[in-house]
Amino acid sequence: MKSKIIIIAAIVMLIAIMGYMAWDLFLSAPPEAKNPWEYKVGDLKRVDSSILNYIEMKPFKPEMEEVHGVDVDSSGTIYVVGKNRVGIFGRDGNLKNSFPISGIGTCITMRNQLIYVGILDHIELFNMSGDRIKRWKRTAPGSVITSIAVNGNDVFLADAGNKMVYRYTAAGKLLNRIGQKDTVQNIPGFVIPSPYFDLAIGKDRTLWVVNPGRHSFEHYTMEGHLLNSWGSASNSTAGFCGCCNPTNFALLNDGSFVTSEKGIERIKIYSNEGVYRELVATPEMFAEGVKGLDLAVDPQGRILVLDPAKNQVRVFVRK
Amino acid sequence: MPTRRVFLQNLIRGGILAGLGLLTGSLVFRSRKGGTCRLNISCNACSKNGSCTLVPAFETRQFVWQLDPSKCIQCGRCATECVHTPSAVKCVHVYAMCGYCDLCGGYFKPDTKTLNTGAENQLCPTSAIKRSFIEDPFFEYTIDENLCIGCGKCVKGCGAFGNGSLQLQIRHHICDNCNECAIARKCPAGAFSRVPATSPYLLKGFGKQPLSGDKTGGPESF
Ligand code: SF4
Ligand code: SF4
Ligand code: SF4
Repeated sequence: MKSKIIIIAAIVMLIAIMGYMAWDLFLSAPPEAKNPWEYKVGDLKRVDSSILNYIEMKPFKPEMEEVHGVDVDSSGTIYVVGKNRVGIFGRDGNLKNSFPISGIGTCITMRNQLIYVGILDHIELFNMSGDRIKRWKRTAPGSVITSIAVNGNDVFLADAGNKMVYRYTAAGKLLNRIGQKDTVQNIPGFVIPSPYFDLAIGKDRTLWVVNPGRHSFEHYTMEGHLLNSWGSASNSTAGFCGCCNPTNFALLNDGSFVTSEKGIERIKIYSNEGVYRELVATPEMFAEGVKGLDLAVDPQGRILVLDPAKNQVRVFVRK
Repeated sequence: MPTRRVFLQNLIRGGILAGLGLLTGSLVFRSRKGGTCRLNISCNACSKNGSCTLVPAFETRQFVWQLDPSKCIQCGRCATECVHTPSAVKCVHVYAMCGYCDLCGGYFKPDTKTLNTGAENQLCPTSAIKRSFIEDPFFEYTIDENLCIGCGKCVKGCGAFGNGSLQLQIRHHICDNCNECAIARKCPAGAFSRVPATSPYLLKGFGKQPLSGDKTGGPESF
């Protein structure tokens, strides 16, 4: 009886050993190798969020594909453009109107009861009901219109494809080009490695344009004379990171700048002299690799961030 | 009763023999796995004939191994797992996508204070990337393939902070087109596949384009 038990135990052990050998040989996963050349990009993005003076409020979804542009008018109405659609929203994100456009809307602005929409290489004008009033001719071969600003009778277009700003009349007549390299006037020329190129009209009715490849803001008269510039390249919070930043900006009501970056995804504020003031949102609040966080500031000073990764308009308010 | 005992004795002997057989087999298999055969097969032709005829035969096949940069997560295994040292995987530069940036995320370490070519500023562990001034503010970055080990560090930096123009690719003038690519076996991203030898590169953003200096040929486009 005793030997029987020993034999059975031996057989069970043998089967177990053979089973283990077979598993080890064919099924077990190799141990995870450590990467000796690992580049921990995430370490650059760690920021203590307790230093923030802004908090995020409830976001809203514009319910359209591929969002690219956001703007706010003086009443607080929010305009969003994306692929094939424009959406008009109340202050709280409630949909007021929505209408189709033919193509990928790259940027949007509303002035004088007219909605200006950049559609890749040209712009179209709509009334508040969504009826198309006008379609302007293509700006130039290879144009990619990434920003529109209206100042009285002047319409400024940022063309990332041709690395140029165009000044038009409201009727669509080209007046002058701004930002071409000119050594006599000390204009360095726009450097735009990726299709992010933003502009805005300042409080004093002058023009601010980002020169992303030089990590700077350039300040121009309407006629295209360079007044001054500011900005520096750095991965530290005070500078603009990567190859080409900031990707987008908006002006706060006191004339200071809100900026967004790619690479290290963050929203920051600079004074109107270009001195770094504070962080509004840290990289950890955004999906890794998100690019083109368009910005707008409403009359109450709320900062609206159009997040293409989450397909949301995100709202940040001062604590 | 004795018949039963004999049966059980035979069963135990059989079991032990089978166990020993499995153990020996697994050891032989393991030694083969870590062996030097580039094709990873146990034909032993090289020991009999003194030379391998299979590697050149495989090179003339119509498909070659390539990795898809859009799947690659820069895990470092392209540098460590290839049967070649340094690896047949190299960083290639897709100039058409490059911004020729002064502050290149693939060239500079993230904490670089002054943008110059000092070794302490360079991200590449082997200084395989050369930076040359073109005109203000543009710089060109070229890869010295003799120095590149395919670690992917620059690829990660360029993807995170730039346009992603630095990409890893198997260079076919170095690759033996092994029967089973040793890196493909370990790649955590499943980035490897066989592609037609007539279009042996998979460059992100620009589809399949030939690079210079390949056995597989094709016009020079870089
Ligand atoms: S093994 Fe795969 S994931 Fe790792 S570096 Fe090579 S291609 Fe990229
Ligand atoms: S960082 Fe690595 S992959 Fe890039 S060039 Fe240097 S050795 Fe090659
Ligand atoms: S096929 Fe062979 S030589 Fe080519 S990359 Fe893979 S392991 Fe290296």
